[in-house]
Amino acid sequence: MIPVEYYLVVAGVMFGIGGIGFLSRRNLLVQLMCIELLLNSVNVTLVAFNRMRPDDHNGQMFAFFVIAVAAAEAAVGLAIGLAIYRLSRSVRSDEADLLKN
Amino acid sequence: MELLSNIFPPQNFTLIAFILGLPALGAFVNGVFGKRLGKDGVRLMALSAIGGSFLASLIAFAMLVGFGRQAHGEHGAHQAGEAISQLKFTAWHWFDVSTNGGFGSAPIEVAFVIDHLTSVMMLIITGIGFLIHLYATAYMWDDQRGDGGFHRFFAYLNLFCFAMLVLVMGSSLPLLFVGWEGVGLCSYLLIGFWYSDDANAAAGKKAFIANRIGDFGLLVAMGLLLSYGGALDWGGIASGTGSLMQRVQVWPIGHAPTTGLGGAIVSAMPWLFRPLTPTVATVVGLCLFLGCAGKSAQIPLYVWLPDAMAGPTPVSALIHAATMVTAGVYLVCRLWYVFLLSPFVMATIAVIGVATAFFAATIGLAQNDIKKVLAYSTVSQLGFMFLGVGVGAFSDGFFHVFTHAFFKACLFLGAGSVIHAMHAGIHDAAASQDMRNMGGLRKWLPTTYLTFLASCLAIGGFPLTSGFFSKDEILYRAYVTHISAAPAEPGVARWEAPAWFGPMLYWVGILAATMTAFYMFRALFLTFWGDFRGWEIGKPAAASVDAGAHGRDHRGPAPAPHESPWPMTLPLLVLGAFALVGGIFNPGLLSKEPGLEHWLAPVFELSEHYVKVNEGAPSKWLLAAPGVMAFLVGAGGAYFVYVMNKGAPARAFTEKVPGLYRLVLDKWRIDELYENTVIGAIESLAETAAQFDKWFIDGIIARLTALVVAAFGTVLRAFQTGVVHVYAAAMVLGVTLFGWFFVWQPQAQATVREQGSGKYLVEASPGLGYSFRWHSQTPDRPDSEAFTSRRSVEVEVAPGETKLVKVDVKNAFDRTTTGTVAVTRPSAAPAGSEKPAPPVMKGSLQ
Repeated sequence: MIPVEYYLVVAGVMFGIGGIGFLSRRNLLVQLMCIELLLNSVNVTLVAFNRMRPDDHNGQMFAFFVIAVAAAEAAVGLAIGLAIYRLSRSVRSDEADLLKN
Repeated sequence: MELLSNIFPPQNFTLIAFILGLPALGAFVNGVFGKRLGKDGVRLMALSAIGGSFLASLIAFAMLVGFGRQAHGEHGAHQAGEAISQLKFTAWHWFDVSTNGGFGSAPIEVAFVIDHLTSVMMLIITGIGFLIHLYATAYMWDDQRGDGGFHRFFAYLNLFCFAMLVLVMGSSLPLLFVGWEGVGLCSYLLIGFWYSDDANAAAGKKAFIANRIGDFGLLVAMGLLLSYGGALDWGGIASGTGSLMQRVQVWPIGHAPTTGLGGAIVSAMPWLFRPLTPTVATVVGLCLFLGCAGKSAQIPLYVWLPDAMAGPTPVSALIHAATMVTAGVYLVCRLWYVFLLSPFVMATIAVIGVATAFFAATIGLAQNDIKKVLAYSTVSQLGFMFLGVGVGAFSDGFFHVFTHAFFKACLFLGAGSVIHAMHAGIHDAAASQDMRNMGGLRKWLPTTYLTFLASCLAIGGFPLTSGFFSKDEILYRAYVTHISAAPAEPGVARWEAPAWFGPMLYWVGILAATMTAFYMFRALFLTFWGDFRGWEIGKPAAASVDAGAHGRDHRGPAPAPHESPWPMTLPLLVLGAFALVGGIFNPGLLSKEPGLEHWLAPVFELSEHYVKVNEGAPSKWLLAAPGVMAFLVGAGGAYFVYVMNKGAPARAFTEKVPGLYRLVLDKWRIDELYENTVIGAIESLAETAAQFDKWFIDGIIARLTALVVAAFGTVLRAFQTGVVHVYAAAMVLGVTLFGWFFVWQPQAQATVREQGSGKYLVEASPGLGYSFRWHSQTPDRPDSEAFTSRRSVEVEVAPGETKLVKVDVKNAFDRTTTGTVAVTRPSAAPAGSEKPAPPVMKGSLQ
């Protein structure tokens, strides 16, 4: 059986890529994908830790909820991206600063 | 009888729920579904509700009579005292109030009680209420003013009956107050029924506000009764009257200052600060009477009642003549044992009563609006009632409530019938009520005329009519009785009315009665006798402008006035008949123990204690003679002036002293006086407050606040870049800081609690995943090497010493922090001081 640390390392790498990507990239679509990465890295840790507790499936259930929320978030996020694109003909997040000040 | 008292046992008299519930149901149904029910449905609902309530009241009355007979007849005289004189029904427990300055507690129940006094009031309310409802179905049928709210009118009217029944049936002051406010509300709603007219709405408001001033007195009285007497239900108040005799300082409020500027004022004007210590009974009585004066339109709060005539005429008859305005008299009768404790209060009531009777009568002499005459007549008659109860003649004062309900309701309904007829030719509210436009109406309105005449005879005091018996009995009692004071403290004589007091009341009353007869017959003659002055009788033709006394309404020929339909004349006939023969219920002049007085005897049983008949008083018959003379002079004078001379002497009088005439016509300009003093003062206070609000609150405080907020906003706005990355970066930073705080560095903090006798409990703050290692014995060495979950440790410290307790806290990531607590026990405290100073606690991170 693969030790849990392996999973954690993979999840940590995914989380790092997602976080740095979200902070550094300016394309809304890429940022949304980064958010998916962040959420999925958490899913990996949840499922991995759940293997240490064979009696229940709370971690897996939680992962399912996260997936559902992520789907909803993607729908809303894409809708916002579309709306911003219609407004300013660009999907660059640093140009969308209507709420400045 | 047996069956009835089995179904409705006196201690759980559920029939009360019907008596109260039917009008409430009627009000609800008419108010909510009235529009859909249609006029016929509304009429049926309103009439059956109040009619059913009347029948139930009759049953209750009959049962009370039956109980009285049983006790007297079947079981012999020795059991007479056990006659059931109350029917009770407790609906639910309402709330508890603290009493006696917070030491006691009195329950306030929603409980209703029917005793002999209430039963008569109930019959008046529901009986006359039914007749007036019937009348109103015809009177209001074609009403097009306002929104044509036929259902609204009857919803209010039914609601009024409900509230009035609560008022008279409530078994405690708070419940009475509910009814009291309820009738005030309905009065307001009905005065302003035609609210689209500004004057009507203003009249409603005036009535409500004048009543509120009175209610203030009632509320204060309730508080005082609670605080000193310890109860608010009738029985509790009666048994608590003993404690109402203590003296209470009402002035100066608190202690008069002795130093500084206040002290200088006090020593300069000692007469102003002489302590005023009346008995509690006096204060309570005056406060209660303020409430009564508001509701029953006595000086100085009478001004609302004449304006209240802006409402539809059935409302004037029911609320502002027959029932609601007598609530004050009812309250005095109900709480006579409080009022009687203070001869000063009784004298005040009597003086205010007779002054109102006299004063309102003078105004009535000059009014031209038929409803205004009746309104001032009502105020005047209410004054007579208060004169009666003020001299301790409670059952006679109450009998005047009874008779007045009939003849004044009849008069108002007759006036309504006249106004109804006058609308055939004049479609102006004010002009159709002006007696100068009437005259000769007896030809067309025979029924109305006859009933109006009957009621005029009654109110004027024509021998053997109802008003004669009630009014003369009041005046007789005013002459011959005086109130003797209950002793408050030994050796201190209390104030009692002087000997001339009774005769003074009597003669002023006789004068008022003379004027009453005069203005009532003036109204009768102007309305029904002589020639018709309204318009040209004939077929309606092109309008021709008549530049007469008014000159503002068009008076072309119009059809003759017509008698009203039967739903209007039938109540008139019934009420007129009662006005004539109602005296048989209490013919005080002819009978030793007249009916109503006998009936009310259980209620007023003990009042003879304080109400004494003077020695050597003139006989009843001798004192009745001036009463008859008053009628003859008044009515004869009216006949002389308005029939024989067609009003010429009155015109001559007005030309001779136009100033006085204008003054009386303008009601002595009391309204203007109030306008310029009380209302003006309040308005200028309000104006000052408004200016303060405008310049200080809005100008300075509000702007300053806005400035501060704006300054903060300007600074904080700089952080809001609107770029998502910046926010995300800030979040990452924040999460990192939190992580460091919780993961890197466990929090080692501890509190010390004293356990007594030198023992202290040291307890470390909890945290997720924390484990602890204590150094409680010696600071250098842990108690045990392992970390445990034990959060607290007990240490013992000798007096005057300080002990250091160290704790190592380890979190889930094996990070450890050490905290140190210094526990100091104060040196042996001197004997007697039980509480040593709390130990000094120091915690430090290392």
